[in-house]
Amino acid sequence: MDLIRKTNTSYLIFLAFLMPIMIGADYFLIQYLFNSEVEETLLHEEERIQYHLAKDGDLPISNYLHEVTPIDKGFELNPKFKDTLFFEAYTDKNIPYRLYSFSSSIDQKPVKITLRHMLPEIEELIWFFFIATFAILLLLVIGLYLIHQEIYRSTWHPFFKNLSMLKQYDFSKMESTQLNSSGIREFEEINQVIITLMEQVRKDFQNLKEFNENISHEIQTPLAIIRNKVVHLLESKNLNKNELRQVESIYQETNKLSKIGKALTLISRIENQEFKRLDRVDVSTLVENILNNMEEIINFKNLDISTELQPMTIECDHILADILFTNLINNAIQHNKEGGWIKIRLSTDTFEITNCGDVSEVKPDKLFDRFQKGSSSKDSLGLGLAINQKICEIYEFTLNYESKEEIHTFSLRFKA
Amino acid sequence: MKVLVIEDNLELLQDIKSFLEEEGNICEIAPTYKSAMGKIGFFPYDILVVDITLPDGNGLDIIREVKKENIDIGIIIISAKNSVGDKIHGLEIGADDYLTKPFYLAELNARIKALYRRKAYQGSREIYFNEIKIKPDSYEIFINDKPMNLTKKEFDIIHFFVVNKHRLLTKEAIAEHLWGDHIEMADSYKFIYTHLANLRKKIGELGGKNYIQSIYSVGYKFTDQEWT
Repeated sequence: MDLIRKTNTSYLIFLAFLMPIMIGADYFLIQYLFNSEVEETLLHEEERIQYHLAKDGDLPISNYLHEVTPIDKGFELNPKFKDTLFFEAYTDKNIPYRLYSFSSSIDQKPVKITLRHMLPEIEELIWFFFIATFAILLLLVIGLYLIHQEIYRSTWHPFFKNLSMLKQYDFSKMESTQLNSSGIREFEEINQVIITLMEQVRKDFQNLKEFNENISHEIQTPLAIIRNKVVHLLESKNLNKNELRQVESIYQETNKLSKIGKALTLISRIENQEFKRLDRVDVSTLVENILNNMEEIINFKNLDISTELQPMTIECDHILADILFTNLINNAIQHNKEGGWIKIRLSTDTFEITNCGDVSEVKPDKLFDRFQKGSSSKDSLGLGLAINQKICEIYEFTLNYESKEEIHTFSLRFKA
Repeated sequence: MKVLVIEDNLELLQDIKSFLEEEGNICEIAPTYKSAMGKIGFFPYDILVVDITLPDGNGLDIIREVKKENIDIGIIIISAKNSVGDKIHGLEIGADDYLTKPFYLAELNARIKALYRRKAYQGSREIYFNEIKIKPDSYEIFINDKPMNLTKKEFDIIHFFVVNKHRLLTKEAIAEHLWGDHIEMADSYKFIYTHLANLRKKIGELGGKNYIQSIYSVGYKFTDQEWT
């Protein structure tokens, strides 16, 4: 749930609780006020009547007078209020009244005087307050919603702008990012924290990359020397079997190291965007050329190759295209069975290569990680697919792997 | 042929020098830009092997200088950088070939010989090894003047062997020569093994001798000398 919906929902829930409470409270409050107003009027009227009775001895004209009844002498009547309904013939309805009775005396005769005052009808009151409160609250909701919308738009604007900037930030690019200033303290603080963190990560990333580059680059000359010396040693005739085995193994491991170095250098060079050229690469021709180059190996392994190639071109550096497709085809050859098959299909937006082979021991989601390799090929470094993944990253191709038992498919989707 | 190797790593320099001298070349060395420029001014070399990064200068500048003087000299760049930019740039200013470190000395040797042949004989020269005749331009090989029926890779193997005759060629060096160095080829060694058996047979059928010797399990030697 996004922020604006979250806050708006909270408002609505709050108002949903508040509304009945407010309506109830209003109702009781108004009723109380009304009652006390009525009572005050009646009490005032009593005072006026008592005053007139004491002064003139007769009953003044009163709108509120309900009835005057004689009472027994010595009967103490406490003045009291009472609610009742009177049937009014003119409206054909029962109307609520508040009665007030008190004792007095007219011509020395004790009487009970009852005054009455109409009360407002309860249902009408409820409806009135309900509608009034509802209207007020509705205006409040709309107002709050609009205000919030505006706050969201203006106040949070830099926040969202920064967010989308951070989403697009790529550590492999060198530049540091500048966040928009919003003038709001909390946002400024979080920007500060993010910038510090990013700067740190960027520096670490940079160092790591440089280290990676340097190490894979600087080992090449020493490795060349070691390799030359070892070949020289192998050419000598004076080695015994045991020494020979050791020298051989030095040679092979040196080679492996050198290949790892070269592959890692290639990866960092791809990351560094050193391959900037955009050539129009004719994929079907490229695939055919690679297959030709591998022809002997394919025949040697007795592989049956079927191709279905539609002419199409992609825009990328031709060296990387060559590496990408060579790796995929080579992969299908290396992990194939003697006498197996490979199917290659190229359409306008997808390249698909399927081969038979043993069930892979590497989990599909780890397949593109560095140094992951099926056990079948101990000479393989497990860097080919990692390189491919890097190449696909920079051109926004997607490379997927699927396997069904002994059938493996790599599909490469070009950018739409 | 006279070769000048310009490379700042003395060990590597010595290795290259002794390898090339064993091949019967005259090989001079220069570990710095300055010494290289001095030597180029004094002696006429056929081939220059140049490292790009030198302690006191850039190998590319040497190439520019040499080309400015219009000296007809074959140039091979060796670099640890493996940078496409450098490679393209190097070839643009007049270098003939580019090798990435670490390279196999046999590969360097093959490139130097091919370059020399192109420069000195306009490529028309045939290569002989006893009864074997190689025509590099038409990819043909003759045994006792009878043509061999070969695939491109088979031709490449024999050619690579003959220009590196009497040398130990490891399986890795052969594989890299045949397929380049950026792919992982676990099957290629088995492939080489089988193909060499086929080639032995093909050469034998045309009356050629078996020159391909296995050297332990690391590689092969193409030689008519006994190796025990």
